[in-house]
Amino acid sequence: MLSRFSRFGHSLTRFPYNRLCGTRLISHSPNSGAAGSATVSDLQPSHAKESHGHSEVSAFEKNPDFHGFSQDPIVDEWNMRMAFFFGISVAIVVGGTFIHYLPDHGMRQWARREAERLITQREAAGLPLMEENYYDPSKIVLPEAEEKNTL
Amino acid sequence: MLKILIPTFMLFPTIWLVPGKWLWTATTAHSLVVASASLSWFKWCSETGWVAPNLYLALDPLSFPLAVLACWLVPLMIIASQNHVAHEPLTRQRTYISLLVSLQVFLILAFSAMDILTFYVMFEATLIPTLIIITRWGSQTERLSAGTYFMFYTLLGSLPLLVALLYLLNDTGTLSMHTLQYIQMTNPDTLGTMLWWVACLLAFLVKMPLYGVHLWLPKAHVEAPVAGSMVLAAVLLKLGGYGMMRMMVVLGPLTKEMAYPFIILALWGIIMTGSICLRQTDLKSLIAYSSVSHMGLVASGILIQTPWGFTGAIILMVAHGLASSALFCLANTSYERTHSRTMLLTRGLQMILPLMAAWWFLANLANLALPPLPNLMGELMIIVSVFNWSSWTILLTGLGTLITASYSLHLFLTTQRGPTPQHFISMDPSHTREHLLMALHLIPLLLLVLKPELMWGWCF
Repeated sequence: MLSRFSRFGHSLTRFPYNRLCGTRLISHSPNSGAAGSATVSDLQPSHAKESHGHSEVSAFEKNPDFHGFSQDPIVDEWNMRMAFFFGISVAIVVGGTFIHYLPDHGMRQWARREAERLITQREAAGLPLMEENYYDPSKIVLPEAEEKNTL
Repeated sequence: MLKILIPTFMLFPTIWLVPGKWLWTATTAHSLVVASASLSWFKWCSETGWVAPNLYLALDPLSFPLAVLACWLVPLMIIASQNHVAHEPLTRQRTYISLLVSLQVFLILAFSAMDILTFYVMFEATLIPTLIIITRWGSQTERLSAGTYFMFYTLLGSLPLLVALLYLLNDTGTLSMHTLQYIQMTNPDTLGTMLWWVACLLAFLVKMPLYGVHLWLPKAHVEAPVAGSMVLAAVLLKLGGYGMMRMMVVLGPLTKEMAYPFIILALWGIIMTGSICLRQTDLKSLIAYSSVSHMGLVASGILIQTPWGFTGAIILMVAHGLASSALFCLANTSYERTHSRTMLLTRGLQMILPLMAAWWFLANLANLALPPLPNLMGELMIIVSVFNWSSWTILLTGLGTLITASYSLHLFLTTQRGPTPQHFISMDPSHTREHLLMALHLIPLLLLVLKPELMWGWCF
């Protein structure tokens, strides 16, 4: 049990809380006892060291409310607002509403609703769902046999 | 069409004239407005098959889901690449975004072209920005060979298509999509006609990619920056599926026999690439191979040529576009923190980035086709239509689904669960930007569950 707690504590210390307190961090390899374990400095390409993730000065030090958009706090905040407004409010909310209220193309939804109503109605009345003669045979005018032959 | 194309073109002045400080803010906002406006394509009022038709450009239910997807992906690519491009000189940042926007222009034109030859030109034109993005902004030297593979596989596949199209044009006098369906093959059994059939489809099968001609894809995906991987997985592969569906109308009765080897290859590819995923160590390569596996299903759905096959293919293309792009974004978030794509070195991230683990979980579920997501709908429709063609195929498709679930679990467990490696010293917490990016991928996927008829294609 104790070992579990200590493992948990160990992982907590890895989390960069110390950045928020304004200390400077230098990326260095850990003094791990695991034999042959690769270190970060060995694994990452040279350009990655200057890049954001392992830079010496964390973006959170300059701006604790860093949103990941820009190093400049004002630009960062505005970029976040713009992306949320146009991405969520306009595209997904307004766009989603627009798509929901699109006209029913070819009246397919209407036809389905009508069909469901008709099925309930006919089932309640005990009738078959569809008559064998969908069209009234007496109303169908067929061409005469001779006409057919001439055609 | 111009209502969307002109604002898209106006992104270029936005990119080059806006003050450098506001470059990413302005382009993100502008491209999101264009993406929102592109939703108007879904308003399909005419009783003919086409939306907003004119002589050169029009959309139909087959192309507008993909065109909207292309418009939606560009702001997401801009948001995704902000972190690693923002450190470069300003001109290079502007060039980068210009390339992404030019891809959007080419893709809209490709999906809306009324002439097969215009489609072909735009299909080829998308290669140029993609090649520049891969070879200029990729992270390792292998990007050059990846670029060569990408370029030459696609070009070699598509040159026969040009010859086949010019032959058809010479024969019929037009390649307009309005009249294409009335073209009849006169002598379908000669060797020349069979070669013509292969030439017509080969370009798209390479682009999809079909198992056997897929080697360019994992290389390109692994070496490309995040935006390159996103657009490749989400839209460029779909150009192949779209082109196949367009050409199928012309290829007529010949397809019935000629398609056999390709369907077998596609189905076998599902198993093979799925198995490759199971023993993959590279995170991006795994996602790339899973794309090949899903696209195999799409290819078989299209080659079967039934309405359900076509509908399933479009649904799976759109759904897979969003899900795999989301997975590539997630792979990038862990790459930006650990600087490694090797899955063994990036494991146990759930402890450090718990919310990201939740996104990983959702994106994985989408990729393995969890009900009621559109991925499942597409897969089921294709599996059913292929089963209807031959019941033996259920062995391949069923096993493929099982393997998909297994490697998705493998991907999730390896990257997220288990002990955290000792070499993680300090790691940035997940950013608002990354959560927004994931939300913008997965919310549309969830919303599509509520209105799937948007991507049912011709059958609705």
